[in-house]
Amino acid sequence: MKDEFIGKWKSQVKKGTLSFLVLNAISKRELYGYELIEMIKKSTAIEIAEGTLYPLMNRLKTEGLTTSKWVEQASGIPRKYYVLTKEGLETLKQMLNYWNELQESINKLTNDEI
Amino acid sequence: MKFKKIEFENKDAQRVYDNYMKNLSNVLKPILEEDRQDVLMEYNSHIYEHLQSNKSRPELNELLNAIEKLGAPEEVLKPLIADKSLEKATKSFNPLHIFKALLLNISNGISYVIFFFLYLSLGTFVFLIFAKLFNSDHVGVFYKDNRFQALGWVKETSNYSEILGYWFIPVMILITITIYLLITLLLKFKKSISKKSLS
Repeated sequence: MKDEFIGKWKSQVKKGTLSFLVLNAISKRELYGYELIEMIKKSTAIEIAEGTLYPLMNRLKTEGLTTSKWVEQASGIPRKYYVLTKEGLETLKQMLNYWNELQESINKLTNDEI
Repeated sequence: MKFKKIEFENKDAQRVYDNYMKNLSNVLKPILEEDRQDVLMEYNSHIYEHLQSNKSRPELNELLNAIEKLGAPEEVLKPLIADKSLEKATKSFNPLHIFKALLLNISNGISYVIFFFLYLSLGTFVFLIFAKLFNSDHVGVFYKDNRFQALGWVKETSNYSEILGYWFIPVMILITITIYLLITLLLKFKKSISKKSLS
């Protein structure tokens, strides 16, 4: 098996789907950064440099897909919660559609060959 | 909302944390103060939450884990700094900030390269202003038989008449400033323009 090739391919897929994962995660409920990262790591086994999430969150915000709000905590160290906007929800729906289409085509292709 | 430092029981942990936050703050220098504060608070919260979820383990160890997992700020935060520095530069109209921001963004698309050259070409107007001072006969706006011939530096001027004289300098200054403002406004709205043309 070409381990190096597979490794590269996997990291490309991860990079390409990270924003999709993030939007999905915060569509269920509002999450703060650390919680969001833990959730993605737990459910997908994706190892990312955790810091890369923050520039991504900034991009999603400037695109108008998310907003954020600081919420004061008893500890005095506030959490920043991320919220999906209406536009973000619409975008996520379209992404989900595309994802399903893609999956179907892959299924068709692999089934034909067997 | 204010930034609150995390207090550690372990002295070494405190030192590592203080150094890390100081370094982070330095990395974030090119962006606006309020954005900088926001990222600092976000990182602070991240580290704090990590420590809270791993409370049973040694502080120093967990702090180092959190920092390691975050990745080197100067690498990881590059895209954010590039985005935000451009915002800052076009807000302040400071040429130095604009050049820095453009350099940070040049890998993000050909349009930034074009902007870079637009700004560079402004330099020729500035050059002409000084050229006029030192070589007033050959620099200016030249006419021949009442028709426009050239703007700039002309070697052979015997057939031409120069019409502006030393008014050339304030006119050039005005043109330079106007073009500068125009390009910068264009840069500022570039994002919303490219977004609209996509949809």
